[in-house]
Amino acid sequence: MKLDVRLFAGLKCNNPELPCFGKNEFDLEVPAGTTISGLHNLMNLESKYPLINLVNGIAQKDDHALSHGDRVGIFPPVGGG
Amino acid sequence: MKIYRVNMSDLTVKSEDVPEKWRRLGGRALTSAIVAEEVDPNCHPLGKKNKLVFAPGLLSGTTAPSSGRMSVGSKSPLTGGIKESNSGGMAAQQLGRLGIKALIIEGMPEGDKFYNLHVDVNGVKIQEETELIGKGNYEVIDRLSQKYGSKIGVITIGQAGEYKMSAANISVKDPHGYIRSAGRGGLGAVMSSKRIKYITVDETNGPGVPVADQEKFKNAGRVFAQGLREHPVTGQGLPTYGSNVLVNILNEAGGLPTHNFRMGRFAGANKISGETMYETILDRKGKPTHNCHAGCVISCSQVYNDKEGNFLTAGFEYETIWGFGAVCMVDDLDIIAQADRICDDIGIDTIETAVAISTAMEGGVIPFGDGEGMLNLIREISKGSYLGRIIGNGAAFAGKALGVTRVAVVKNQAIPAYDPRAVKGVGVTYATTPMGADHTAGYSVATNILKVGGDVSPLAKEGNVELSRNLQVATAAIDSLGFCLFVAFGVLDKPEVYQAMIDMIDAKNGPDAVKDDITELGKFVLTTERKFNEAAGFTKADDRLPEFFEEPVPPHNTTWDFSGEELDEVFNFVEEKNDYGKVDNKEMQKVNTNEMQYV
Repeated sequence: MKLDVRLFAGLKCNNPELPCFGKNEFDLEVPAGTTISGLHNLMNLESKYPLINLVNGIAQKDDHALSHGDRVGIFPPVGGG
Repeated sequence: MKIYRVNMSDLTVKSEDVPEKWRRLGGRALTSAIVAEEVDPNCHPLGKKNKLVFAPGLLSGTTAPSSGRMSVGSKSPLTGGIKESNSGGMAAQQLGRLGIKALIIEGMPEGDKFYNLHVDVNGVKIQEETELIGKGNYEVIDRLSQKYGSKIGVITIGQAGEYKMSAANISVKDPHGYIRSAGRGGLGAVMSSKRIKYITVDETNGPGVPVADQEKFKNAGRVFAQGLREHPVTGQGLPTYGSNVLVNILNEAGGLPTHNFRMGRFAGANKISGETMYETILDRKGKPTHNCHAGCVISCSQVYNDKEGNFLTAGFEYETIWGFGAVCMVDDLDIIAQADRICDDIGIDTIETAVAISTAMEGGVIPFGDGEGMLNLIREISKGSYLGRIIGNGAAFAGKALGVTRVAVVKNQAIPAYDPRAVKGVGVTYATTPMGADHTAGYSVATNILKVGGDVSPLAKEGNVELSRNLQVATAAIDSLGFCLFVAFGVLDKPEVYQAMIDMIDAKNGPDAVKDDITELGKFVLTTERKFNEAAGFTKADDRLPEFFEEPVPPHNTTWDFSGEELDEVFNFVEEKNDYGKVDNKEMQKVNTNEMQYV
């Protein structure tokens, strides 16, 4: 299945074997049933802190199973106001 | 410590000891207590009966990290209710170290002369001002820094203030000569009505801020600073990208108000995002990290240069970039930076101005997306033209003048950068805070979207009334202590940072400390403010959002669906006998002075 992946605030795909290596906005083909943590592992995302995952604009936990066509935004902890 | 009363009617200054009832108050708690006790809630905000109160936070001027906020309080010409707006910059710490608890400006002079105030260890001097009338804030700060030296503190109004526009702010010099602002509610117009162009502050030989237990204070300050440095938001995100890191996450969450609040996502978001801004600043040899007051360990500010590498603006905040960006459909960061620069210089609130321009776009004055047209409208404000005065008096005024009903305001103050239908906790705050729509009054975005201090859904009603209430109470306390609100990211998430904050208050106040009564302090502030507004004629109907928020907003297509009864639960701690409209001024004063002292 295909995902619309957007990485923010310094996050990038760190897997040199993927075509999205070094990028922060891309479409990615993943196996059906891939979870958010599976996606993190696939891209070798590095963060000292838990990441914020917005799937189609709604926050989801790491064990959430993704679906074909999902827009997945991933952020390190950020804030302001 | 002292309170100075500056009487502009007879041009005299009096020094007073701090009464017991105000001794443990600072910042917002003190400005609101003074305004509630001394200002007739039914007075004209720009008349002689209103007062303008400056108060450093309780800890401002000490070594407490990130504690350099100054509160400014008054009856607001924008909302007609009580107002507290606070600012970074140098003045809070300088006033604190001069031993000044509050500076109360009252009365107004006959005639049309302007004056300046000079504050130093000898007191306050009133002088006639002629040279800098009509000048912008950058020139005022530059000329005064040349005259008195770079360490002089400056509090000033620009042309928007001189014209007494309801969106005019009060600007405060930062340690680098740039501008911070007490932005909201038109307090620059009040300062102008007192005929004061600027206040200079020289802290030389000031006695400093009394601290009862220096050792305990220092140790607690160290824990507090370390906790903020280690928190990912205050230690990494904010210093790197500034508050503008929020554009992308609000856009992804569908809560970035776009096209005058028609959509929750903006196609041009990435072009105006914190990440793009950071790269642009580095390319042009600006400064991505910069502090607005000495001793800030967060340093979320920045210096943004133009294409030629020359200074354009500083303190370039998310709400400004959202306002001149998404809500007006402008996706050019350089144009937005110019808008910020002009607003800082003429002394006008960027949120109010941006929403007023969005309202003018709605009314067909210029098309949405017209960046150059937007800059021209802001220039009209500085000229004081009729069109400029329509914009400069804020979004509600512009809506009336232009026959526009889709106007995003509560209590006549513009709604900021988070759509209340997609970030419902902050919508509750907009509706109910005594300040008029103000995200900082109870920043539920933290828990709705950023997942700081817990996790409450931004799209459902459940938990959001309680969230907003708790954050409004905590914020009122933080605003009174002089801390930057951003310390809340650490305070909400880390028990040791919260405890260090309590320990600093205890160490400052000594054996009669208030212990951990932060909640009581916050409730005292909010009760005081609510009662003032009741006496000024506010009713429950003023605690509601504009009806166009009943329309669904994409991408989630959620609506604003809180009932009036649900919103009225936010302030369930304010006593029953003080229902809206039932307290006359005399009774209110009795309650304020006798029952509500924070001791």
